[in-house]
Amino acid sequence: MHSSFRSGAREGFIVFLPLSVGLVPWALVVGMAMVSAGFTPLQAMGMNVIVFAGTAQLGTLPLIAAGTPLWLIVTTALALNLRFVIFSAALAPGFRGVGTPGRWLAGHLLTDGVFATCLDKMLQNDDPRWRLGYYLAPAIWSWLLWQTFALLGIHAAGVIPKAWSLEFMATIALIVLLVPMARIRPMLVAALVGGASATLLRNMPLRLGVVVGIIAGIAAGFAAEHWEHRRSPR
Amino acid sequence: MNYDASLWLIFILIGLATTLPRAIFIVLGNRVALPSVVQRALRYAPAAALAAIVVPDVLVVGGTLEVFNPKLAAAAAAIAATALWRNPWLPFIVGMGVLLGLRQMIGG
Repeated sequence: MHSSFRSGAREGFIVFLPLSVGLVPWALVVGMAMVSAGFTPLQAMGMNVIVFAGTAQLGTLPLIAAGTPLWLIVTTALALNLRFVIFSAALAPGFRGVGTPGRWLAGHLLTDGVFATCLDKMLQNDDPRWRLGYYLAPAIWSWLLWQTFALLGIHAAGVIPKAWSLEFMATIALIVLLVPMARIRPMLVAALVGGASATLLRNMPLRLGVVVGIIAGIAAGFAAEHWEHRRSPR
Repeated sequence: MNYDASLWLIFILIGLATTLPRAIFIVLGNRVALPSVVQRALRYAPAAALAAIVVPDVLVVGGTLEVFNPKLAAAAAAIAATALWRNPWLPFIVGMGVLLGLRQMIGG
């Protein structure tokens, strides 16, 4: 390991460490939710390692449990992770001089927290090895925390009685993500329209109501943004 | 519920659906840029998708709309806890407390 990679890694780790505790309740909840959906511990850890995306895991669990068609499950997972297209585009210049396998690894390990930590510093530093270290240390640390606490959650869920309705923890986790988004007005409109149309269309075949709700929500948010701009032109 | 081997196929496809958005521009580098209209529309996808999953879950009980149900009260409590306090555990404690408490009272 090159010394500038190591110094980048050390710096990234120190910056990210205090933030990383926020991952712990999440990983526990996702672990418990997967067991509540009926997965065996092996299946749950399989999903956790293969997918490594908490929101998409929680969001697709009810669809998998309901036997929803595969393409709808995949579309929903995609919609839930689309924000990362923007993060990925913003971070891309920070990977100048890094090979393709390293870039795929970095992409798979991208999380909201790592993005927030790395964006500024990665675009400022000129040494590609330092930048990769600065990115990979928080990213790999997140991965380890995520897998460890999901495993704990999986085993905790196994001993907790069914009557405790642990599966509702997954809904709460999605609410916790949604609330700060909804503080921005067009985002709130997107959520209200998405939620209302998915509820009204819940009897559509193949649970298509979820996808129609997502599309309607995006359109409504976009329209609300336009409307806001026209009312207060700056 | 019992799942068969196709569950692993589902995991792999979800894995692709979650890794591709994250990796695409990091892998492509600066060779491609996203139109700004698309970028702006994409910002609304997570909020719309989260709500499309959460809202039916808390409003519908056994296939019918039921506005006064313990899940909705629990969701409201979780929203309040998220909006008012920064503690990451509180929404779970408050939400589950309301859900289980109301179910005890109703006896359901």
